Amino acid sequence: MIKYFVPKSLKEATEILSQNDCYILAGGTDLMVQKHRSASLLPTFEKDVLFTNEIKELDYIKVDKEGVHVGSVTKYEKMLKSAQIPDIFRKTIEQIASPGIRNMATMAGNIGNASPAGDTLVPLNVFDAYLVLSSTRGERKVLVSDYIIGVRKTIREKDEIIKEIVIPNLDLEFDYEKVGSRKAESISKVSFLGAYKLEGNIIKDFRVAFGSVSIKVVRDKEVEKKYIGLTKEEFINRKEEIVSDYSKLISPITDHRSTKEYRQKVACNLLSRFIDNIK
Amino acid sequence: MIPKYLTSVKKVDNEEKMAGLALFTDDIQVEGAYFAVTLRSEKAHAKILDIKVPTLPKDYYFISAKDIPGENVCNIIVDDWPVFADKETNYIGESIGLVVGPDKEKCLDLLNEFEVTYEELEPVFEMKDSYVHKEFTKGNVDLFKSSAKVFSESFETGYQEQAYLEPQGMLVYFDKDDGRLTVKASMQCPFYIHKAIMRVLNWPEEKIKVIQPAVGGAFGGKEHYPSLMGAQLATAINKIHHPIKMIFDRKEDVPFTTKRHPSKTDISAYLDDKNNLIGLKIHVNIDGGAYIGCSMVVLSRALIAATNTYTFENVEIIGDAYHTNKVPSAAFRGFGSPQSIFAMELFINHLADYLGVDRFVFKNKYHVKTGDVTSTSGIFRDEIVLDKIIEKAKKMSDFDRKFKEYSKPNSNRGIGISTFLHGCGFTGSGESTIINAQLKIKKDKNDIVTFYTSQVDFGQGNRTTLKRIVVDTLGIPEDHVIYDAPDTSKTLSTGPTAASRTIIIVGGLAAKAAQHLKDIWVSGKEQEIVEPYVGPSYIKWDEDKMQGDAYPGYAWGANVVEVSFDPVTYQVKVEHTWSVYDVGHAIDERIVIGQADGGLAQALGWSYLEKEEAVDGRFMQKKFSDYIVPTSMDLPEMETALIDNPFKYGAFGAKGAGELTFVGGAPAFALAFEQAIKKPVHKIPLTPELIMELVKDED
Repeated sequence: MIKYFVPKSLKEATEILSQNDCYILAGGTDLMVQKHRSASLLPTFEKDVLFTNEIKELDYIKVDKEGVHVGSVTKYEKMLKSAQIPDIFRKTIEQIASPGIRNMATMAGNIGNASPAGDTLVPLNVFDAYLVLSSTRGERKVLVSDYIIGVRKTIREKDEIIKEIVIPNLDLEFDYEKVGSRKAESISKVSFLGAYKLEGNIIKDFRVAFGSVSIKVVRDKEVEKKYIGLTKEEFINRKEEIVSDYSKLISPITDHRSTKEYRQKVACNLLSRFIDNIK
Repeated sequence: MIPKYLTSVKKVDNEEKMAGLALFTDDIQVEGAYFAVTLRSEKAHAKILDIKVPTLPKDYYFISAKDIPGENVCNIIVDDWPVFADKETNYIGESIGLVVGPDKEKCLDLLNEFEVTYEELEPVFEMKDSYVHKEFTKGNVDLFKSSAKVFSESFETGYQEQAYLEPQGMLVYFDKDDGRLTVKASMQCPFYIHKAIMRVLNWPEEKIKVIQPAVGGAFGGKEHYPSLMGAQLATAINKIHHPIKMIFDRKEDVPFTTKRHPSKTDISAYLDDKNNLIGLKIHVNIDGGAYIGCSMVVLSRALIAATNTYTFENVEIIGDAYHTNKVPSAAFRGFGSPQSIFAMELFINHLADYLGVDRFVFKNKYHVKTGDVTSTSGIFRDEIVLDKIIEKAKKMSDFDRKFKEYSKPNSNRGIGISTFLHGCGFTGSGESTIINAQLKIKKDKNDIVTFYTSQVDFGQGNRTTLKRIVVDTLGIPEDHVIYDAPDTSKTLSTGPTAASRTIIIVGGLAAKAAQHLKDIWVSGKEQEIVEPYVGPSYIKWDEDKMQGDAYPGYAWGANVVEVSFDPVTYQVKVEHTWSVYDVGHAIDERIVIGQADGGLAQALGWSYLEKEEAVDGRFMQKKFSDYIVPTSMDLPEMETALIDNPFKYGAFGAKGAGELTFVGGAPAFALAFEQAIKKPVHKIPLTPELIMELVKDED
């Protein structure tokens, strides 16, 4: 018999999770689709379900010296309207699905779902954002990039729940592009976020991440290090090498949405354009 | 009588739809109704050796071909589509049987327990086995042999899903009052379903009635497929005598119900040594899928439309519809003509480029004029205002300036114009020989008038417009006229809701019937008139030879599409559209504009977003998250103008508007896109993946 839990506090939620192996359902915009059977029938869950929507204490956006803290039940639409959320995140969220879905969906839910096409996963990687996971055993912090280990695979222990996401402060120039199949209600074929900081003529910071071109977001700090510290001219002159480095890192597939050739080429084009536009 | 208005009234179903009160098929509750789910073929072509039916609990049934009392054939146009696949299956998803029972979930679980044993046969996926062939000529095609040069091109278009909001669904039960087998369904053609059921049960007409509930979109997708569902559910209810409902999920509706025919059209222009055009040879090939169904009629329309808005002295037109082991292709807005018009519009521009002459001067030389002979050797009789349409469209869009500007290298922007026509009503003499519409109108003692049609309002607004025609003809208050949704036990057949015939044919019939009632009107007396359709006397048509006047009248139009292109992502953006239509006299401007916006949006989707790919006979795109229809965010501002050109045989001068608004979108889009990338286009949909290949060739 499947059990359904609707805890009203984080404490209650962690206690339930310490006793039961549950799906954690926030907005349901991924899970309800995955478990859908047929019109007029309820979805079928093969294990217990914990609904987070009544955990009001986790519906918050707070700022402190660490960065922006987003409680795990905070809806995307609320983030979109909050001036405390970094602009680049809002630009990303604005292109997710449609207002109706954004009124249900949460960023924590998208992290938990660990889809290679999760749009906010790309800036979360670039920002080195981390999660606070909570359980009756205590709390731990994990980078989003370490938390997701494959397609729909995370390192969450059965008794843990995402309490919040922390987005550190980051003052860079950004270039984000979501390449979807249409302008709304669209799942990414490729997404790209490039970021840099120029001090004088020196590239002080350089970060790149791609979505939908591998089993998880592609970001490589070793490659980034190679190019940090160059002058702007040196950096731009090495465009082909940079593109080639990343071209080797990504491994897109052909599916019913696009082809691996298209994803590979467009990912490289977006990176080239980003480099061309550095001012 | 032609009233001097283009004004719009509130649609009669506005309020019930806005308030959510309209009852669609799945909203209708019949106590204790069972559910039906479909056992479908997993093979594209195979013998069915054995069906192992699991142990069925009480009140659960398996319905298959052996339960059919009449013929195992779904009455469409050609009788080749079985109600249930019996000994052999011809496409993936073909219905083998139904599991029927009180609990839908249980039915679905049982479905998983069936074991079907197949012996696989060689499937055919390419267009190579023609099952319908047609050809005809105009002028002297022997002259082609004397040509000095030939310019040839080939064009391809893809599948398209109708993407109606309401999926296919049907409810059957026995009416407690009159005992009739009653069908309520999401449909276009109540009498098609009625006939299909008569055939499968061997029942007389009066034991069945088909009633239309609210219908959420159709676009041709509900013209024939509901007949198949009707035949299946009739077989089931005949066996178990219990109400049954069958509602398709989207993931069932998209991959297993009928689609627009994919096409390949080859065109050759024969030129003499001075580059004068001798004539054209056009070969249209359409993929009909596993069963012919209505493909022969789709092919006819594609061929008749193939010369589009141009008159050529010498033309050879050939057409083939092919059998493949895929879901049968069938009706879809435009009915074959969008495919051939796409090819002709691109070809004539490419031909002008090949000859090194101005495209617009060249096209203008061949534009149809009143009195010209059609490709089927009929005559374009009505006043043709194509030049006015083009002039207006160009002016609205600032076409000439933009065309010149975007011709510059690396503009990544383009503008294209298409002209097109649509023959309204059934092809040839079909209206008088096949359909024979009859419309009943009656008046009671209180002078309340009721009239009946079999026309379905699936959102396009004909409940409003047909009623308005009768109200205005009689000159009585609107609430003195009753016009309900079709019920085959009450109305005579006024034909299917298809072929842009509703206003031009049925509207004309309604106006005539109302006028006759008015002529004999005696207040306080019960009166009734049955008005038969009488076509224009000039319509003479030979379907075998494809000769004569193909349609009672034509609607005309021009679309201008402006696009921009992103060379980084290979994506296209539609920046703006401008359209001009001659639909005769528009009875209700807002309803026509609704068709204009919707038709063009659907055509743009077909042009660059909507890709349905069959891999080994299996459709890859099954839901709206992967079969990409345009959203409002993808659509630009759309400007539309109507040119008033009353048609003497239509109601109040109206011709058809439903399909016309679809046929010109794709060529206008493709022509604009060609200008943006400076390369010719021969294939749609122009997805970014295809565009990448097109652009890459150049690198």
